[in-house]
Amino acid sequence: MADIVMECRNLWKIYGNITAVKDVSLEIKEGDIKLIFGPSGSGKSTFLRCLAMLTTPTKGDVFLRGECLTRHGVNLNKARARIGFVFQLIWLFHHLNALGNVELGLRRVLKLPKEEARKRAMEALKAVRMEEWANHYPAQLSGGQQQRVGIARALAKNPDIILLDEPTSALDPELTGEVIDTLRDLAKEGITMLIVTHEMPFAREVADEMIFFDQGTIVERGLPELFFTNPSSDRARRFMARLIKRTRREE
Amino acid sequence: MDFITEYFPLIIEGFLVTVQVTFFGAIMGLVLGTLLAIGDLYGGKIISTIIKFYVEFFRGSALVAQLFIFYFSIPTMLKIIPIPFITGLIVFALNSAAYQKGYIKGAMESVYEDQMTAALSLGLSKAQAIRYVVLPQAMRIVIPPWGNEFCSLAKSSAALLTIGVRDLTSAGKSIASWTWRVLEVYPFIALIYLLWISVVMKFLDILYNKVKIPGIEITV
Repeated sequence: MADIVMECRNLWKIYGNITAVKDVSLEIKEGDIKLIFGPSGSGKSTFLRCLAMLTTPTKGDVFLRGECLTRHGVNLNKARARIGFVFQLIWLFHHLNALGNVELGLRRVLKLPKEEARKRAMEALKAVRMEEWANHYPAQLSGGQQQRVGIARALAKNPDIILLDEPTSALDPELTGEVIDTLRDLAKEGITMLIVTHEMPFAREVADEMIFFDQGTIVERGLPELFFTNPSSDRARRFMARLIKRTRREE
Repeated sequence: MDFITEYFPLIIEGFLVTVQVTFFGAIMGLVLGTLLAIGDLYGGKIISTIIKFYVEFFRGSALVAQLFIFYFSIPTMLKIIPIPFITGLIVFALNSAAYQKGYIKGAMESVYEDQMTAALSLGLSKAQAIRYVVLPQAMRIVIPPWGNEFCSLAKSSAALLTIGVRDLTSAGKSIASWTWRVLEVYPFIALIYLLWISVVMKFLDILYNKVKIPGIEITV
């Protein structure tokens, strides 16, 4: 049995009187690729941020390789260094070129010497096929290229897991394609990933498990086949029908 | 215009005093202003309130009054003999910091949220995120308002003559009183300010364009 990389137990996130994440438990094993999908505003992003401890959960625990991150006094910087995060709106550092974006964490967090950081950053850029663009600044790149640099930035530190929050939803279909290709490459490498996405053909191809999220909680989960053939919850069935229709239209 | 040759050393001396107070005052103000901006943004309520009082005092009261407080009031209280130049420098740094804090805080806020989150996600500490991600971007944005601050500081430096600093304006005043050539001396002094400030502004302009992030126009 493969090791559990990341786990959360009874996770809650409450803002005032809004419950963004409601009692979610999840286990992700080494090499797993799990996909989360569901309507906007259903708390998917918040959930991902809680896992990365970019926002503190109100209740419940997050574990990274068995180490509890929600316990008091944990060095969160160290923990975050082992979790890759890819943002919906990309969020590259504007003042650094592609290489600088990938290098920053290697130099300042992992404290690698300059040469080695450069080498590893270039390898990460190569993995997303962006090595020729290393000296370009974010504003000089297309959205798809930017997001690939964003993936390289998360990948370069050899994280235990990469969390991707709708990595393609800010991109047009063509650019989405190149990012999805990149993710497919990562999937082949066996990288553990939790991805929020609505790219259904991709989901069907790579997902070990799909998780339907609504109103802050997991409504239904299972193999992709389950969702494509016969989801048991009404809500998931209706949502899938709409997604599949949209995907066909795009094709 | 023979007063120029006659009193050349005095003019140069006064000019250098003005340059030093302005330059070091602005630089010290930049460092202190940056610390104040960071303190205000991340330091919590108490620190933020203290900073607010500090800023209100230096922005809300007359520069000459501030000079007098630091030259007469505080030294009397502490029973020390103040040095005009050092006192002037301290007041200029403290005064400028109050203004610069506002510019820097505004610039930091404009890059703050998403860039900070991205930096934290890499495992950088908050301090590292400020140092390597927020400040490098904020400092670029802050160059034009910083130019204004430098400009106003350079001109305010004439107030130093009230506590006996031998600055450029003070030199002009002395020369005018000795030669009675008020018609030429004061415009000449004003011209030196104008030339000097123009040169610094041009330099900041070049710097601003040089550090501009490729691909984006920063609009301020």
